[in-house]
Amino acid sequence: MADAWIDGRPVALRAAATEAAKLLKASRLPLVAGLGTDANGARAAIGLAAQLGGVIDHMHSGALLRDLDVAREAGMMVITPNEAALRADTLLMVGPGLKTAWPDLDARLIERPPAPETADPFRRRVFWLCPETKTRSRHQQEAAIGHTPKDLPAVLAALRASLAGRPRRKLRDARAIDRLAAELRTARFGVALWSAAALDVLTIEMLCGLVNDLNGTTRFSGLPLTPGDHAAGVLEVCGWMTGFPMRTGFARGFPEHDPWRFEASRLIASGETDCALWISAYRAAAPDWDGNLPTIALTGADAKFRCRPPRVHIAVGRPGLDHDAVERFVPTATLAWTSAKHKSEAISVAQAIGQIALALASDRALPC
Amino acid sequence: MLTCIKGGRVIDPANGRDAVGDVWMRDGRIVGAPPGDTRADEIHDATGKIVMAGAIDIHSHIASDNVNRARLLLPELHRASAPNPAAAPLSNAPSSTFETGCLYASMGFTTVVEPAVAPDAALHAHLELADVPIIDKAILAVLGNDDFLLEALRREETPSLIGDYVAWTLEASRALGIKVINAGGAAAFKANVREFSLDDVVPFYGVSSRQIVKALQRAVDGLGVPHPLHVHCNNLGLPGNSETALATIAAAEGLPLHLAHLQFYGYGNEGPRGFSSAAARIAEAVNAADGLTIDVGQVMFGQTVTISSDVLRQFNARTGASPRKWTIFEAEGNGGGIVPYNYRPGNFHNAVQWAVGLELFLLITDPARVFFTTDHPNGAPFTTYPEIFALLMNRDLRAEWMAKLLPEALTVTNLRSIEREYSLAEIATMTRGAPAKLLGLADRGHLGPGAVADVAVYPQASDRAKMFRAAALVFKDGELVVRDGRVTRYRWGRALYVRPDHDAGIDRRMRDHYGDRYGLPPDFMKVPDGAIQRPDPFELVPCHG
Repeated sequence: MADAWIDGRPVALRAAATEAAKLLKASRLPLVAGLGTDANGARAAIGLAAQLGGVIDHMHSGALLRDLDVAREAGMMVITPNEAALRADTLLMVGPGLKTAWPDLDARLIERPPAPETADPFRRRVFWLCPETKTRSRHQQEAAIGHTPKDLPAVLAALRASLAGRPRRKLRDARAIDRLAAELRTARFGVALWSAAALDVLTIEMLCGLVNDLNGTTRFSGLPLTPGDHAAGVLEVCGWMTGFPMRTGFARGFPEHDPWRFEASRLIASGETDCALWISAYRAAAPDWDGNLPTIALTGADAKFRCRPPRVHIAVGRPGLDHDAVERFVPTATLAWTSAKHKSEAISVAQAIGQIALALASDRALPC
Repeated sequence: MLTCIKGGRVIDPANGRDAVGDVWMRDGRIVGAPPGDTRADEIHDATGKIVMAGAIDIHSHIASDNVNRARLLLPELHRASAPNPAAAPLSNAPSSTFETGCLYASMGFTTVVEPAVAPDAALHAHLELADVPIIDKAILAVLGNDDFLLEALRREETPSLIGDYVAWTLEASRALGIKVINAGGAAAFKANVREFSLDDVVPFYGVSSRQIVKALQRAVDGLGVPHPLHVHCNNLGLPGNSETALATIAAAEGLPLHLAHLQFYGYGNEGPRGFSSAAARIAEAVNAADGLTIDVGQVMFGQTVTISSDVLRQFNARTGASPRKWTIFEAEGNGGGIVPYNYRPGNFHNAVQWAVGLELFLLITDPARVFFTTDHPNGAPFTTYPEIFALLMNRDLRAEWMAKLLPEALTVTNLRSIEREYSLAEIATMTRGAPAKLLGLADRGHLGPGAVADVAVYPQASDRAKMFRAAALVFKDGELVVRDGRVTRYRWGRALYVRPDHDAGIDRRMRDHYGDRYGLPPDFMKVPDGAIQRPDPFELVPCHG
């Protein structure tokens, strides 16, 4: 028994799906946004957007694309959390937001015993650059350099220059930076962590350059902490289905990736999009845009909407809780099957979109 | 429904057939010619055309977490522009899984093997493969840098335990076979080792690359897995690495072994540039080694990207990336890397590489032991297959290509002196009968009664590239899926896998291992039926008794 509403009135699922299909069919450029869903929900959402000639954007595309931009413009070395926990004798914790992005950071990385195959004796050192002051790690007292995130670009640049023996201008933490450079040189296996949600793309690029430099003489890698709402998992699905990440449009009949053109809030503000399908299965979140456009929401029953409530609202379950799901498993950074912890009647995003697709009865096939 | 493909030249060397005749299909299988008065429900006129079983590609990086990294790294290389075909949605999205299946099917390929999947990324690979239309598929699971195996070898555990572990991996991954990629090299790289050869030893574990390969070879063979251990040797791409290839060939010691993309190991270090073809020596060794099979990994000129789980090689190669960007990743076991690359005909090394691949094809005498690959996309995209068929079948065409290359590159190879031309029957053996046998697929790769009705009908053309580029008709499980090089409808194939018998005690052992090492049970590695949203997503292939 699904919970569904049209204009706030409870209706049967089929009626809601039919109304949603009507809105999407009438739309010039439908936007499929939020995209907080499991892998099969993402497949359904992306397939639908392709069929409709719409646009896809994930609520955390901004952060995700910062890491992707560094990789696809310059290059990047990365490692899985599990492997970092097993091998790293040196952890470089860069910037704020680490514990927010990975609440289990202390237990699953800093405090994990190393693998037997690492060098003996093993001493794990943890260095903090411009760390978070609000959500702190238990281990944060050690060797913090830099006071606010605004210091980071200069600190990283100075650190990189120090390592390479290049001249640099005067800096408040100069001696601490030189000491840190000396420590990093003696790492047997170092891992730098960062959260793209908290940094800008040039800072990330500088850090990745530093990691690459360190591999000239020792072993070092990077561990980007990805944003929530299954952004990294949805990125995988989007990549294999379309060849591109999110912020991709299908209006011309083929996928086009343009991070500026296909950004959700810009499309709404400009009026280019005239209907939105908002998906948030992990949190009962509502979109933060201000637009007046008709919205179809696939999210928790208790989601609170700004200004106008959605025209159609279908309550969906939480992946891995209400229903089985394929999701990105953080320790190995791979997709994994999760059995529902408390299986319920709540429908999945994939099922909800399936109902909408049926109601659309398009003569254009869905890819999935 | 009874279907007849009428009057084509049927080339089916596995059944000794090369003659004009009919092919009959019913309920997804090839059937014998029915009694004379039987009417077919559907007749396809293949007069003047060539009829073969659907082709089988045993080594092509089409679907995995690593392949996906390559897609995301290089959006500029696959901009879309073609309109979305109603019958084949998203097949107009270049590099997508949908495009991959359609391109393969339109060339008459009906089964493709993704050769490099880390066991803990098997679900991802199967999910991608489930979105590859038309073709049947399989994965090879990668072992050889994983802690469990290296530790088992360090402790001198029994071959029986190693066999159970390999079986457990195959079952958990739903894989068709085992791949080893620079055995020990990735583990050594974590310890800051920067080069790794067959007799080098992994720090801490104290086991050599050779020991790892031999242990896996014996395990795979002992389990009765049809596909031999599939080996990506050490020292890929390095001048003089033909020594590594020869040493690895010798290490086979009479047990089945398959060496991947051998072109990348076909190099001597002679001549003014210290880089030359050693293909003749390699081919001689392959010809002499019964039970050994190889695939070529042909290089073709143009922009491509290298996708590999040889993280050490990719790390070292990143400085030659073109365009200048790359991704290197490390994980349990192999990890991997993506390094874009552009093979240029004006480049001495690339010209030699191109020649080495062709030399291997032409100097290895048995078409049942040399397999047709470009190690897609590492040597070239699989869309170059038609041109490669043409080069193998026409020495004048080879001469035309060679005329455009640096003469000094050709002087360090033997290609100019080779006159051999492949016949259609040899192409059929190499791309149909032999791969089916190598993978243990008794009902594929041929057109005898009982075979799966995977059939490719090609237009006859003296331009063999044109012929192989766009099949006139392709049937998958007896249903028409391609007409004149275009997919007419989607249908979804099956992922082929093996499940050899093994002692159930390994389950407990693996739970303990994962619990100790990761603090997690290995459940995250499972590939349950329900995870794949297709009807009949898997097909079990029997092991040898």
